[in-house]
Amino acid sequence: MRAGVDVGATNTDAALVAADGKVLATVKVATVPDDPVASVRVALERLPPATATPGGPAQIAVGLRGAATAVTRRAGLRKVAVLRIGGASATAVRPLSGWPRDLRDAVSTGTAIVDGGGGLDPEDRTPLDREAVARFAAQVAGQAQAVAIAGLFSPLDGEQEREAAAIVRAELGAAVPISLSAGLGTLGLLERENATVLDAALSGFATSVSSGLSEVLAALCPGAAAFVTRGDGTLMSLEHLARHPSLSLGSGPASMLRGAGALTGLADAVVADVGAVRVRVGVLAGGWPEEAVGGADIGGVPVGLRIPGLIRVPRPVDPAELAEAVDRLQPAAGRLPLVVVGGGAHAVPEGTHPEHGPAAGAIGAAVSPVGGQYERIVRLPDRSALPGLLEPVLEEARAAAVHAGADPRHVRLIDVDQTPIAYLPGPFVRLRARAAGPPSSW
Amino acid sequence: MDIDTGLLPAFARGCAVLGSGGGGSVAIARAAALQALEDRGPVRVVPAADLDPGLLVMPVGTAGASAVMSERVGGVDEPAYLREKVEELFGVPVGAILASEIGGANGCLAVAWAARVGLPLVDADGMSRAFPRMDQTVMQLRGIAPTPAVLCDERGRTVVIDRVTGAWLERLVRASLDAFGGQVATSEYIMRGDQVAAATALGSVTRAVRLGTRLPDPLVTGKVADTSGSILVEGLGPDAGRLVRIEAASEFPAVVEDGAPLAAVPDVIAVLDSRTGEVLQAEQIRYGLRVAVVRVPCDPVWHTPEGLRLAGPAAFGLAGLVSPSDQEPS
Repeated sequence: MRAGVDVGATNTDAALVAADGKVLATVKVATVPDDPVASVRVALERLPPATATPGGPAQIAVGLRGAATAVTRRAGLRKVAVLRIGGASATAVRPLSGWPRDLRDAVSTGTAIVDGGGGLDPEDRTPLDREAVARFAAQVAGQAQAVAIAGLFSPLDGEQEREAAAIVRAELGAAVPISLSAGLGTLGLLERENATVLDAALSGFATSVSSGLSEVLAALCPGAAAFVTRGDGTLMSLEHLARHPSLSLGSGPASMLRGAGALTGLADAVVADVGAVRVRVGVLAGGWPEEAVGGADIGGVPVGLRIPGLIRVPRPVDPAELAEAVDRLQPAAGRLPLVVVGGGAHAVPEGTHPEHGPAAGAIGAAVSPVGGQYERIVRLPDRSALPGLLEPVLEEARAAAVHAGADPRHVRLIDVDQTPIAYLPGPFVRLRARAAGPPSSW
Repeated sequence: MDIDTGLLPAFARGCAVLGSGGGGSVAIARAAALQALEDRGPVRVVPAADLDPGLLVMPVGTAGASAVMSERVGGVDEPAYLREKVEELFGVPVGAILASEIGGANGCLAVAWAARVGLPLVDADGMSRAFPRMDQTVMQLRGIAPTPAVLCDERGRTVVIDRVTGAWLERLVRASLDAFGGQVATSEYIMRGDQVAAATALGSVTRAVRLGTRLPDPLVTGKVADTSGSILVEGLGPDAGRLVRIEAASEFPAVVEDGAPLAAVPDVIAVLDSRTGEVLQAEQIRYGLRVAVVRVPCDPVWHTPEGLRLAGPAAFGLAGLVSPSDQEPS
C-alpha cells in the first residue's frame, strides 16, 4: 500500500493506493496557505486510520508546487553568488542577463566570469583560473548563502565545475550549498546557468521542506519511506530534494500526468488538469510527461530544465480555446485521446473522466517509481562506437536513480534516447538515459 | 538613424524575419547586442553613399553551428581582432562595419560588434536575408574579391585565407570550423567605402527595423497540420479550406499551393506563431502550431540570372521551381 499527496494552490489531495494499483481512498482538504508541510499533515490525518498504523503505507510520496511559487513570488529565496567558467569565450552576455530586475535583486549577490571552460573536443579546453575562483569566493564570503557554477560545455565534461566547487567549498565552508550546471540541462549556457542559479536560490526552501516533511511523515506514518515528486514524473528522497532543489520544479503537473495515465491505463494521451483558476493541458507520452519543447520559463526566466510542456487556459473555460490547446499538443491530428482530471474536471464535458480523476496528482505521486536520469553529449565518429559510449551513460542513469533513493537491485532503464545535434561537425549526439525503480529497503 | 536599446527589439525581430527560417536564432545575438549597446552606447547607421571612399568597410559575421553558439555565447573582442588583422593586411584603416548577413543572428551581431569597436554600421548588408553559404552575397555577384578574408575566435586565434574564389572560401571556412571548435568570427569581401553602394544590398538595416515593426499581410494563416515531410499548413478563419505546403530544410525555400509556388527563394519566407507573434525557425515547427506565413521580397539583384544561379531554387535543390517574382509576365 502506498500513499500520495498533492499540495495544490487551493486544495491538497491525498490518495491511498493498493499494491495492485487499486485506489483505496482519496481525500481533499483546503491547502494551508504558505505551509505545504501543514497541508500534507492535514490531508494525511484525513485518510483512513490504517494510514497511520504499522500496517499502513510502506511509501509516501508528496507533490509540492512550492518551489515554483517561491520563484514567482520572489519569496524565501537564498542569495546566490554566480560563477561562470568560460573566460573570453562567454563574455558577450553576462550572467542573469534578461532576468526580471526584482528577481535578480532577490537572488544575486554577485557574479563573475573566470577563465576556463571546455569545448566540443578535449583539446578545446582552457585551464581553469583557480586563483580567480578563489578570489571570487573570498569576495562573496559572508553574503552568499548559496553558489551556482556554470561551466562552458559542462554537459560534455563537468570536471572544471567540480574543480571550482572544491575551491569554493574550501573558502566558504561546507554549509554553503553549491549547485553545478552539468546535471541541470543540455547545451545552451544561459538557460542552464539560469536553472543552476534557481537551484541554488531554492536550497533554503528545499532544506526546510525536506526536514519539515521528514518530521511530519515520521510522526504520522512511522516506517514509511518518504519521497517527493520530480518534474520528470518520478520520485526522489527528501535528502535528494535538499541537495537538488530544482528537480521538484514542474513536479505538480508531472504527477497529474502520471496519475491520469494510471487511472486510465493509457500510456499516451493529452491530459487536461482542471484547477480552480485555470486548466493545464499537457501530454503523456510512453507513460511519462512530455517535456517542454525548447525549454521552459520559470518566474520570467528561461531555463533548460526538463519539465512538462503545458498550455494554460484560464477559467471559465472557453471550449474553443481549450480545443485549440488540446489540438496544439497532439503529435498529429486527433491522434491521442483526451483525459480530463483535476478538482474542476466536471467543468469540461469533453474527453474521458476517470474515476478518482480529481485526485490524479496524488495518485500519480503514489504510483510512480523513484527515478534518475543522466545525459551527455558525445562525438560519435561511427555507429560502432555507440555501445561503448552509451554504457557509461546508462550506468550513470542507474546510479542517479539509486542516489535519489531507488533500490539498486531493481533499478531498470525506462527510456534511452539518442538525439543527433544538428549542424555540428563530428557528428555529435546527445545520449540520455532515464532509470527508475522501487524505493530501496529501509 | 542610431540603433539604441530602444530600437534593438524591432531590429532584432526584423533580422529574425529575414532569416527565412534559418540564419541561427537571434536570441543570444540580440542579448549580446543589448549588452554592447548598454556598455558602449548607440550605433550610428550610415547610408552607403555617405561612406568615406578611401576607408575600408569590414563585413562581419560568424559561421558555425547554432548548438555551439547556444553554449559559446561569444566574447567582446572578436571585432577588434578582425579589424586589427584587416588593417594590417590592407594597410588602410577600417571606417565602418557591414553585416555580412542581415538575416538571423548575424544581423544582431553586426550591431554588437559595431558598438564594441566604436564604428558606424552601414545601412546595407551582403545578402538582404540569410543564406546558408558564405559566398551567396551581392559582393560575389558584383565581382568583389572574397579574400583576403580573416577568421578568428574570441581569444584572437586567427586564420587568414587568401587567393581563393567564393566557393573555395566556403570550403576553407568549413574546414577551419572544426579546428575552431565549431564557431568562428569572419570578415570577407572587404571593400573600400566607394565600392559599397554598388556591391551590397542597400537599406537593409532600416528595412529590418521596419519589418520588425510591421510585416506584410500573410500569404496564409492556419495551423500546422503535418510535419512528416514538408510542412502542411491548413488554412483557418478567412483561409479555411486552403492547404499550403512549406518546403523546409535548414530554412524555408518555398511555399506551394495547388502545385504553384506562392513564394520561393531567393525571396524571404517567414513563419510566425500567430498566438505569440514569435518568428519561428525551421527546426521549431511542430504539429498544431497556429502560424502566419509571410513573404518578404529579397534584393532585386537576386532575381537576375546570375543571382538565381547563386541563390535561386536550384541552389536549394528545387530545380524547376520558379518564384512568382521570377515568372515572365504572360
